[in-house]
Amino acid sequence: MSTQDFLVFYLSVLAVIVVCRCVPLFALKGRALSPRVTEALGLIPVAAFAALVANDLFDPASGLSVPGLLASVVVVAMARRTGSLIGCALVGMGAYALLGMI
Amino acid sequence: MRVLKVLRTALPVALPIMLGYVAIGIPCGVMAAEVGVGPAAAFLVSATFYSGAGQFMMSSLALAGTPVASMVASVALVSTRQLLYSAALSPYLARAPKPLAALFAATVTDESFGVNLDRFASGEGWEVSSATAVNLASMFSWAAANALGAAVGPALAIPTTIMSFAMTSIFVCLLAGQRWDLTNVLVAAVAIVGVFALKALGAGSLAVLLGALLGILAGLLLGSFKRRGSA
Repeated sequence: MSTQDFLVFYLSVLAVIVVCRCVPLFALKGRALSPRVTEALGLIPVAAFAALVANDLFDPASGLSVPGLLASVVVVAMARRTGSLIGCALVGMGAYALLGMI
Repeated sequence: MRVLKVLRTALPVALPIMLGYVAIGIPCGVMAAEVGVGPAAAFLVSATFYSGAGQFMMSSLALAGTPVASMVASVALVSTRQLLYSAALSPYLARAPKPLAALFAATVTDESFGVNLDRFASGEGWEVSSATAVNLASMFSWAAANALGAAVGPALAIPTTIMSFAMTSIFVCLLAGQRWDLTNVLVAAVAIVGVFALKALGAGSLAVLLGALLGILAGLLLGSFKRRGSA
């Protein structure tokens, strides 16, 4: 990748990322939101995390990752028991590594 | 003193994210080195893009010889889910000064979004300054790990798939911590099935955003149905 290509790529993507991160926040910040918009905003965390987990566990080429799915069940148990993010990350990696060896 | 107080509050919250970012930031830097990105550039890119998925994608597309326009489109699309995070966080920044709100907004990631939103929604007075410190501490660990990975290069053999499961585990933990009523079960189920279907149909980078939007739409429809039923 040449320096010029890298700069074009870097500046173009940076502009898109900044717009995606900042524009909705400033467009909605301090405004009185309708009940429907508030309701939709409240649904974003569940929808986003579910979509991110699904994205990590499913690859169209290889299908659903069974070790990933089973390790996720272990992480859910850990999350319900402790709520610890770091505990979940460590247990998840350990479970995924062990299940991958089977 | 004020800065120290903010850091004392924010660092314990940021620590799980920081450790996860070190674990996957090093292999991300190793991949960046393979396409000629040095440690300083890796730090700069990581501190400004601050996008794990985008940066892994950048290296793999460059290694595959993908044209720059296609690379820009692919990495830009994977970043569009940030639109949802930005909108969801906006009510909590209503009274924040604009420069602080801009710094906070520009440094949100999947993981820091979840952690900060949990704190904001808990009603325990989580301040925007602390939330921004969580974002910046996480960003620094991500950028430093990328620079380290770019410095050591391919000499370091790291099981990337196992390391990256740390981030999946964080998403699972944040998902498991949500309030589980009928609406949220439906939203999650539709989002998951939506992502599976969209990826199978070749939606690629857009699957997360579109799947999440389908889940939100299903939740809104159920809410509307419930209101009609009780009217």
